[in-house]
Order: sequence, then C-alpha cells, then structure tokens
Amino acid sequence: MKKMTLLSFVFSLFLLVIPEKNMAAENLQAIIDSMKEGAVLKLENKTYEGNIVINKPLTMIGRSKTVIKGDGTGNVISVKAPHVKLSQLTVSGGSMDRNSSEEYAAIKIYTDHNVVEHVTIRHSFHGVYLSKAHDNTIRYADIKGMGKGEIAAQGNGIHVFYANDNLLEHNTVDGTRDGMFFDYAYRNKSYDNNITNTRYGLHYMYSDENIFKRNVFTMNTGGAAVMNSNHLKLEDNQFIINYGNQSFGLLLLQANDNDIKNNTFYMNQRGLYIDQATRNTFKSNRIIQNQIGIELWASSNEQTFTLNRISENTIPAVTLGGNSENNAWSKDGKGNDWGAAFPLTDLNQDGIGDFPVIYHSSLHQLIEDQELTNLFLKSPAISIYEKINATLKDDEVMFQDSHPLTAAKAQHSWILYLVIAGVAVLILRKGRHRLCIIFGRNGRKI
Amino acid sequence: MHYIWKEWKENIRGKGLWLSISIIVLISVSILFRPTALSFDKGFYVLLINLFDTLIYFIPILCLFIGAFSIFQEKEQKTLIMLLTKKDNYPSFLVKKSLGLYTVVLVPLIVWFSVYLLLLKFTLQLDIKSYLVFVAAIVLMTLLFLQMGAAIGSFSRSRMQIIGYTIFVWFYFFFLHDFILLSFLPDVTYENVKFFSVIYFLNPLQSVRMYLETGMGVYSFGHMSRLMQAFMWTKPVFFLLGNLLVWLVVSVGTAIVFNRKEGYE
Repeated sequence: MKKMTLLSFVFSLFLLVIPEKNMAAENLQAIIDSMKEGAVLKLENKTYEGNIVINKPLTMIGRSKTVIKGDGTGNVISVKAPHVKLSQLTVSGGSMDRNSSEEYAAIKIYTDHNVVEHVTIRHSFHGVYLSKAHDNTIRYADIKGMGKGEIAAQGNGIHVFYANDNLLEHNTVDGTRDGMFFDYAYRNKSYDNNITNTRYGLHYMYSDENIFKRNVFTMNTGGAAVMNSNHLKLEDNQFIINYGNQSFGLLLLQANDNDIKNNTFYMNQRGLYIDQATRNTFKSNRIIQNQIGIELWASSNEQTFTLNRISENTIPAVTLGGNSENNAWSKDGKGNDWGAAFPLTDLNQDGIGDFPVIYHSSLHQLIEDQELTNLFLKSPAISIYEKINATLKDDEVMFQDSHPLTAAKAQHSWILYLVIAGVAVLILRKGRHRLCIIFGRNGRKI
Repeated sequence: MHYIWKEWKENIRGKGLWLSISIIVLISVSILFRPTALSFDKGFYVLLINLFDTLIYFIPILCLFIGAFSIFQEKEQKTLIMLLTKKDNYPSFLVKKSLGLYTVVLVPLIVWFSVYLLLLKFTLQLDIKSYLVFVAAIVLMTLLFLQMGAAIGSFSRSRMQIIGYTIFVWFYFFFLHDFILLSFLPDVTYENVKFFSVIYFLNPLQSVRMYLETGMGVYSFGHMSRLMQAFMWTKPVFFLLGNLLVWLVVSVGTAIVFNRKEGYE
C-alpha cells in the first residue's frame, strides 16, 4: 500500500511539474495543428522550434523576443493556406543547402492573401519567398544576409517567383544576394523599401507591369537591374552610392516601355546603364555626381529624356557601340537641365536655352574597349584628355539636346557666408601685426 | 623635441600653417552646410567622399609648400649652417625636421577632424570605423606631400625654384601621371596589367582614394573580371603602404643626395 501511495504521489508530481500546456508550447507545430481555422495564436517571448507548416488560415502574433528557429534543413515557416497573418516574429535557421531541388527560405509562402509584417529574418538562404503566391502583403520585414562579399552561398531578401499582385512595403534588406528578386512576376507593388549592400538591390527578370515607388537603394553593386521586363513604373526612388567598377544606379537590359520618373541617381559609377532597351521614358529624374550620368549603348533606341536634371557628372552621357540616333533628348520642346557645365543664354526668359546643348567626347572608344578606363573617371586628367582629343578625329557627338532647360539657381547658405567672412577677418587682422615667416622673410613685415 | 618646439613656434608666428588649416576647416564646414535636397541614411559616406574629393585639390599643394618653405627658411636664416656645423649632419637634420613638420601639421589637423566628428554627430548617422579610415587617408596623404615638400626645399636655391618645383610635382600627380597612363590604356592586356597596376598606384592620390573608398565599404569589388582581378592583385591598403614607402624613400633620398646648404638670398 505504501508503495502504491508513493507511486501515485510521484506520478501526480510529474503531472504538476510538466503540465500539458508547456509540453505543447515547445512544439509549435502541434499548437498550430490543434487550432481552429481563423484562430489567433499569441506566442510568448521565447524561442520556438521551427520548420513549421501552416496549413489553415490563422493569425500568429509574437512579441519583441519571440524567435522561431529552424533546424537548418528546410523552410522555417511554410505557409500553405491562404489568409494567414504572421506578425512580430524573429525567424532564423533556414537551410542554406544549394544542392536540394528546393530553394529554402525563412518564410516561404505558397498561397494567396497572406500578410507578413514586422518580422526579422536572419541566417536563412532566402528571406521571404513568394512561390506562385498572389495578393500577399509583406511589410516591415527586416532581412539581413551574410554581407556583400558572399554572393553564391546566399539567396535573396525577398524572392518573388511567378507571383502577381503582391504588395511589398517598408521592408529593409541588407547584405543578401539580391535585395528583391522578381522572376515572372506581374503587377506587384513595392513602396518605401530600403535596400543596401546587396548585389542588385532590385532584380527583375521577365516581370512586367510592376510599380516601384519611394524605394532607396544604397551601396549595392548595382542599384536596380531590370532585365527582359516591360511596362514598369519607377517613381521617386533613390539610387545612391552604387559604386564599383561594374556598378550602376539603374540597368535597363532588354527592357521596353518603362516609365522612369522623379528618381534620384546620385554618386553611382553609372547613373543609368541602358542596353538593348527601347521606348523607355526618363522624366524629371535627378542624375547627379555620377561618374557616368547615362551610359547608352547603340543597341538601345527610342529612349526619351525630358525635364531631367543631369549635372555634375564626370561624363553626363556617353553613347557606346556606335551612334544611336533614335533617342530623343527633349520632348514637346522641353529638354533637360545639364547644369553649370553647359552655360546657356535665355534671352526670352522662357526657361529654355537659346541654343542646343551638344556634348562631344573622345572617351567613348576607350570606355568601350578597356574596362580599366573606369578607374580614371574621378581623375582630373580626364578633362585634359578630353580637351586634347577634342581636335582629333575620334571626338564624337554623344548627345544633342535641342531644347535644354536653363540651370536651376543654386541655393546658398547664409551661415556659410558668415563663417567665411569671419575667418577672413581673423586671418587679415592677424596678418596686420605679426611677422610672417613662411611666406615672408623673417624680420620683415608684409 | 627641440625641433618640434622650434617648428611649432615658427609656424604659429607664420601665416602658412594657419592659412592651410583654415582652408581645410572652411571646406569641411562648407560641405556640412552644403544645401542639398538629398536626405538619406548614407549621408555620412556621401559627405566623407565629397569632402575627400574637395580636399584632394588643396592638401597636396599646401603640404608641398609648407614642407618646402620650412626647410628653405633654415637656409635663409643661416640656421641650417649653424645646426650642421654644431652636431647634426644633413640626414639627421632632415629626419628631425621632418618629424617636427609632421607633428606641427598633423596635430592641428587631427584635432580639427576630431572636432568635426562632433559637428557631424548632430546631423548624420556616424560610422566611426569609416571616419577613422578617412582620417588615416588624410593623414597619410599629408605626411607624404610634406616629405616631398621637404625634398623640394632641400634642393631648391630660391623661392622661385620652390614654387616651380612644387607646381610641377602637384601638376604631375594631379594630371600628368594619369594622363600618361590614359594614353597607354589601349595597350593594357592581361599579361601586362600587373605592371600597369603598380604604375597606377604609384600615384598617391589614386592609392589613397582606393584605400578610402574600399576601407569605407563604399567601393564594391564584386563581380570583377579576370583583368580587374589581376589589376587588384593585392589589398588597397598594401598599395597605399607601398606607395608611401616608395615616395618617402625617394623624397628622403633626393633631399639627402641633392641638398644645397645655402640659398641665393
């Protein structure tokens, strides 16, 4: 009898110490499976084991320290039901295997109408993968990869594959292969994303009618690479410091009928790099302080450049591979603002210069033949080289803008003028009473 | 130590150093206030690159002049003869004088860039590692051109000679070196690109720039072609150190071998 009492006591103790609730909490998959459709699952501030599959509509909300950690063998979260909402989670530990038939991700979505928001993703091949998934929303995702040096061993921040009508907004991607990769994806919208230290911030393959607005691409090998994709809208984006021998702000390769408006291309190796692309419109963009403002290959035709500000670039625009004469540098009598490097008169004050801006360059052949030329684009020697070669026969017209806009007046800071004046007064006052040793003879007042 | 103190006293009484430092201060402040509609997280890097691109126009020539006139002044005041007859020989004089020059020019420069960091803190998101790389780039460039200036001061006999040599050295590194390389560019192949790279990085302005841009993580070396890989056969910091070594040795050597103890005046 005593033994029986002891046994029952120990058994009841075991039940009390490890209640069923806690056992289930360790196994997130079991909790998900036990929930009803449309239920809300609130996770605690702890680490859950990953590689979970969500196969019913539900909402899963974490807290600031909720982590779902995969075992490194597959997708950490697979969404296989529509109307799933994931919020406030840190997801890590996806498989990095490149030999498997499947490309793994931290969050892989196979269905429509899902929402992923406020998630942090680390240590995974792809961040969020939309596979034939439509009408999903991905917002406020913070995705970090292994850094710029690692290209092949890691995937993309957000990978959109055969997926249409998705909304991607306010996401931050840092150090992945491509920031956002679109493959056969149509009518997706990307707003206010911030992409840095990747290979291509944005990479488009065979994806039409997408819209990009207010995204910022900084310090990538290439800002945005649009390949074989048509009818895109790129507006109000910033392509900044995409710097390196092969770098560019925006590459258009076999991309047609795209509308590129109000974007900023600042301090890139090339602002715009256009190859085998036709009928693209570039309007009201700011292409400033790039080494080459616009690199236009002869295989590209019927581009229209109007109302852009193209200034302070080492080379404003260069045409390579022969003369492409079908590009328009003005539209409806309005050309571009080429900055102070091309002084203009505007006697009738209509904002349009009185004579065309024509740019000659002898560098085109060198840039085309020898990639090391890019190393010299910041050198002051370039201007001398251009001037000396101006008289030689290899000097060609790079563009002719018949209706150039007169340069916008620069704004100056009055604080700066005050500081300059103050320093000047100080130096002059000092010079009145002292002896100058370095620039004057000792013992003699100057 | 005596030399440092002597150099300091001479410079604070003169205008050259103050003029140079105030130019650098003005440029850095003006870039800070530069009106720009571009506002973004990476403003810090943009500012440092722009600042470097502007300073590169001033620092080399100012340092050449400061270095050259500092040595020449010893000749002018006959203090060089005094020093050499007492206990120093020319190499030891040159080394001590150079150390004095480095201290007097670099200390105010480093102090200013420390203050400047505080100013930046109010406006931009800082990256201290990148800033240290930037300051190192400026310091190394200053040091190199000061030494070249000291060499010019050593072998020049008059102020006009100093101005002539200084402008030539500045013009060579600023325009001529790259211009000559640009002329040879069509003949560069995979076989001779390494040699071309050595000559390219012999220009201190190019090696400092490459060090700065890669050190700050701005310049990306991803997806390099075979030619580019052969061109960048070692790390940018080694190109810079090699450059520094070559020009310091050449400058000191030239100064010792061709020095003239007295000026015309």
